[in-house]
Amino acid sequence: MKPVVKVISFGAVVGGCFLFGFCWPDIQRLKAPSTRAIGNLFGVRSTGGESPSIEFQHAYAEILTDYVKPVDRTNLKYAGMEGLMASLGDPHTIFMPPRAAAAFNDETRANFSGIGARLGGDPMGAKIVVVFDDSPASAAGVKAGNVVTAVEGKSVAGKETDDIVSLIKGQEGTVVHLTLIQKGKEKPVNLAIRRAKIIAPTVDSKYLADQQIGYMSIASFSEPTAAQFDKELGKLEAHPLKGLVIDLRENPGGLLETACDMLSRFVEDKVVVKMKFKDGKEDVARSYPGALHQFNYPIAVLMNEDSASAAEIYAGCLRDYGKAKLVGTHSYGKASVQNVFPLVDNSSAKITIAKYFLPVTPFFGRKVDAYGSYISGGLEPDLKVDLSNNPELVFGDVKTDNQLDKAITLLNPNAKF
Amino acid sequence: MNTTSKSILSATGVVASVAAVIMGYRARQQADIGAVQVADNGVTIDRMVASRSNDINVPAGDYFYELSQKLKDQYVEPVTDDNKLVTGAIRGMILSLQDPQSQYLDRTQFASYLNARDGKFEGIGADFALVTGPNAAQLEAAHEQEAPATTAEDAVVSVQDIPRLQVVSVVPGGPADKAGVSVGDLVYSVDGHWVAQSEPIRKFRKALRDFNSKKISAAAINQLRTEIRAKADKAIMPVKAKDMLFLGKSGAVTVVWERKGVQRSTKITKLHSTMPGFQVSGNEIRLPFVPASANSLKHAIAGKSEVTIDLRNNTMGDLGSMKQCLEVIAPSGEYGNFTTFRHDKPTPLVVRKGNSNPPRITLVTDKSTRGAAEIFALALSSRGVAHLTGSETGGDRDVRSIFRLTDGSGYTLVTSVYKPTLGKAKRTIGGTR
Repeated sequence: MKPVVKVISFGAVVGGCFLFGFCWPDIQRLKAPSTRAIGNLFGVRSTGGESPSIEFQHAYAEILTDYVKPVDRTNLKYAGMEGLMASLGDPHTIFMPPRAAAAFNDETRANFSGIGARLGGDPMGAKIVVVFDDSPASAAGVKAGNVVTAVEGKSVAGKETDDIVSLIKGQEGTVVHLTLIQKGKEKPVNLAIRRAKIIAPTVDSKYLADQQIGYMSIASFSEPTAAQFDKELGKLEAHPLKGLVIDLRENPGGLLETACDMLSRFVEDKVVVKMKFKDGKEDVARSYPGALHQFNYPIAVLMNEDSASAAEIYAGCLRDYGKAKLVGTHSYGKASVQNVFPLVDNSSAKITIAKYFLPVTPFFGRKVDAYGSYISGGLEPDLKVDLSNNPELVFGDVKTDNQLDKAITLLNPNAKF
Repeated sequence: MNTTSKSILSATGVVASVAAVIMGYRARQQADIGAVQVADNGVTIDRMVASRSNDINVPAGDYFYELSQKLKDQYVEPVTDDNKLVTGAIRGMILSLQDPQSQYLDRTQFASYLNARDGKFEGIGADFALVTGPNAAQLEAAHEQEAPATTAEDAVVSVQDIPRLQVVSVVPGGPADKAGVSVGDLVYSVDGHWVAQSEPIRKFRKALRDFNSKKISAAAINQLRTEIRAKADKAIMPVKAKDMLFLGKSGAVTVVWERKGVQRSTKITKLHSTMPGFQVSGNEIRLPFVPASANSLKHAIAGKSEVTIDLRNNTMGDLGSMKQCLEVIAPSGEYGNFTTFRHDKPTPLVVRKGNSNPPRITLVTDKSTRGAAEIFALALSSRGVAHLTGSETGGDRDVRSIFRLTDGSGYTLVTSVYKPTLGKAKRTIGGTR
């Protein structure tokens, strides 16, 4: 070999090594190196026009330093990330700051350490909306309607309910001190309640003796929901049943696994939903074999525009396989699957990764106009019943709940529609 | 070549190659993190990773970059437009300020905004402001005098405050002018879309409380609920309503206006219209604040002992141009301050060289005198350099920065608020020491 060739080939090898090192992060990720990185290597300090990332940082710095009022940098960053994800125009692809991310985790797990009560807004603090059975709260005498005015001796008047909830929650076994206003007591009551693991009930049932109908309401599809469903179904089936109403109104969905699990009571090893991903890849979720239950009575499912996601899959499959009729108004129309990706500082990104298709029903994704109002989408009910305007209406109460009333009529063997 | 030198050479080659790999990797890390910069106040911009806690492990590249990448990798549809992501993020940050005076403007909105600043209007030929409270001019006073909420419930209910859309200037002879629209009119609905307001929502929430405490009947609450639903179903936010009136050069809009509680419906055809520019007739000067104004003003006042400056229909003036006009017409000195709510020192509005022999100045103002024009009027009158005639100014003393983004969109950001000098500072003005 000539010396010149030697020098050149040596240079090429060393250069190649440098390039290998430079591209190592990309090789790990199996993709081409970003032009941004190459640009920076050659001293091109990208200005706004060249790098979106830098343009973003300019604006961030500008707002942080020049806005007329002080701005919290962390909240500003999160607002930016929310805007970034909202720019796709998909209401389900969202950024979740740490607090929201933690709340989302609690919701889907439906078990956490607390006192076992659901709280709602109140000007004096937070109102106890529901007290779960066998919970520390119910043992301590907390009742629905009580108002929490202080936690650990500090007033919580005017605080957001979410913030109050996170004050009350804590490590299992520790004690939280609450000040409550209870009906019929002049002075606020101080209670010390030991926190425990709470499994929030998501299924509630009652037997309507006059009609011999079982009524089961499912609030969401969480981890314990399938087991709770089986338990409540057992309770109902202890009575003579002419039919079952499953109430999915206001059910925002939850875990697909739970919906599949619960559908396995109805159909064995059948397609629940087909998911189509960005690269044309398809995936199928099926019901499991070996969990079939014999339903010897007709079933009606109640739904409304707030029934979404896993609730729609559940309702849609029951209809597609001829197991139930749908009653009420059209559902929300959430026909996409999201994955939650954790980010560095405990915030998360919830991203739509696939669209889903039911076994028979055509694609039912929600469409909205420029004002965000509903145009089309969602499952259409077999029997359309609008909720009456009765202010006394209580879901699950045969006397006032006109949608439930219609569903029961439909379950009558002589019903025609 | 002997074996020893050969093996030395190959060893060098191996070392060089390994070193090259490491250098390459280092260079890449540098390149990925290259975006670090230092902001004005010395705070290191933290590559968007929570900066106060250093214990968070920062992966190569920044937060924005990481999230964009995540979307590109995972989102069900292809994500190709980086500009859309960055403008979305900036829009999100501006929205989080919840300040009707700091706005993100998309390409069309931004272009129209810049044109209007130059006097070239489209839409119905009017400028609008988002006002909170009964009247922008009374806002400050209202804040001070507002009776404290008597109950916690009142405090909660009064939190929600959607600004209202109000006409702040009307192009003479433009479509809105011809339809009888005047400064101060509030927009109630556009093309049948109710423009959301806090008041009915507040009223409904109060009624709901009264219903819960059994003060009103179920029928009454249902009536109210039906009413508010009917409105809310087709409601639009004030910003959207502004677009429908401010943008476009053709087509018609049906607008219901509100003036002193009385509603009036008009159908207005959109058309290009022009706000009069700099004009001189005798001693009367119309002075919009655009880059050429200072020069024109200099010529207009030359040799005059008395001038009247018309600052009406002047809402979008450029602050820099206004400062140049002050240099032309006002004696040197300080004319009040630009203040912020950030515990930093106020910045004085300084006229440096100034005009040591200004004419007697009369300023004509009204509610359509806003922004730079209002600051001009207050600066001169508070120091006794000019006296005001006409009526009260619009109440907008905000200083805004305007930013253009790569994709042609932009945003405005309020950076300070002008506060005129109070008291008898007259003597120190123009003092040639």
